[in-house]
Amino acid sequence: MRNVVVGLVLFLVACGSSIPPPSDRLASAEAAARSARELGAEKEPRAALHLRLASEQIDQAKKLMADEDNKRADLVLQRASSDAELAVMLAKENSAKAEAEKAQEIVKKVKSGR
Amino acid sequence: MKKTSIPLVALSLLVGCGSTLPPKELVDARAAYQTAAKGPAAQQSPAELHVAKQSLDQAERTFNEEGDAPVTKDYAYIATRKAQLAEATARAAIAQKDREAAERDAQNLTGEQLRKAQSELASTRGNLEKTQDQLAREKLAREEAEKKAAQAMADLQKIAAVKQESRGMVITLSGSVLFASNESTLLPAAMVKLNEVADALTKGNPDSNITVEGHTDSQGQRGYNVELGQKRANAVRDQLVARGVASDRIKAVGVGPDRPIADNKTAEGRANNRRVEIIVEPGKR
Repeated sequence: MRNVVVGLVLFLVACGSSIPPPSDRLASAEAAARSARELGAEKEPRAALHLRLASEQIDQAKKLMADEDNKRADLVLQRASSDAELAVMLAKENSAKAEAEKAQEIVKKVKSGR
Repeated sequence: MKKTSIPLVALSLLVGCGSTLPPKELVDARAAYQTAAKGPAAQQSPAELHVAKQSLDQAERTFNEEGDAPVTKDYAYIATRKAQLAEATARAAIAQKDREAAERDAQNLTGEQLRKAQSELASTRGNLEKTQDQLAREKLAREEAEKKAAQAMADLQKIAAVKQESRGMVITLSGSVLFASNESTLLPAAMVKLNEVADALTKGNPDSNITVEGHTDSQGQRGYNVELGQKRANAVRDQLVARGVASDRIKAVGVGPDRPIADNKTAEGRANNRRVEIIVEPGKR
């Protein structure tokens, strides 16, 4: 009995079909893309590019999951996450820069207004 | 010079055996990491830079083991993004510090100047806080909607076979559960089941378009079967609409025997082919 189970497991592993769908990775890639969108990634060209790459790869991974190619889907989702996380940071960088410029401008204006 | 000779031999062996050149993705990843390591990231975002290094190491290891395989390119791609992330993090940190410096600068102003600067700074910060607040509220609403959708999905999976496909979420209901043989009037038990499906659809996917497809086995005339499929799809649609699914987002199609999912030569296969599929298209955003 035990041998049968071990054999079955080995067989499944060998065929690659035993990898469960990477649902957690899909969820975290989608969450990262959502955060990027919330932070205004669509308004900043570099962030928008990486957000688009992330979305495309998420769609591609979903198709792979539907075809049960979970191994490939997992890697594509890791790619998607790395793009989405980059989009998040680029959007943050963009707003941090805007805030800094604004603060500097105000100080300059007030100082020169004396 | 002597010290380097062993690694050099090892390297030339690797190159000799591996025989593959590093893919462009890996060359890019190495360059991206070098650029990041030389820039402000080393000071401003050492943790992210470290992650980028680990990511690059993984790509290198995969290249050594698998050569110019797709997986090598994937890891190299990710390593490039991690290096870019470290750089962007560093730039964001610098911008943050610039702002703080400007605010400190404002404190060195006097009297009238100070009040004016403070009020202007406060108003920009007020605006920022307001948008933060808005974002938090929107996020909460979205999370709520997602939770509902997940619950609806879990409910559905208890009563029917649900599969995620590229055309959307496909809910498959067996024909024998819904209709008597050759009939297109719903069985009483089917109505109960469809009501549960309708509840899940209105709760979980209130904006998605829905297609109901009636499928049959291949026995008998094709034309008759297509018509039977249409009538059955109509019956299912009408029941879903009666239970509250908006009628303008749901359509019924008679597919008949044209798209079997099992072998029509066996009784079991035919039973599997007699089915109704409810396809929930992915929501548009």
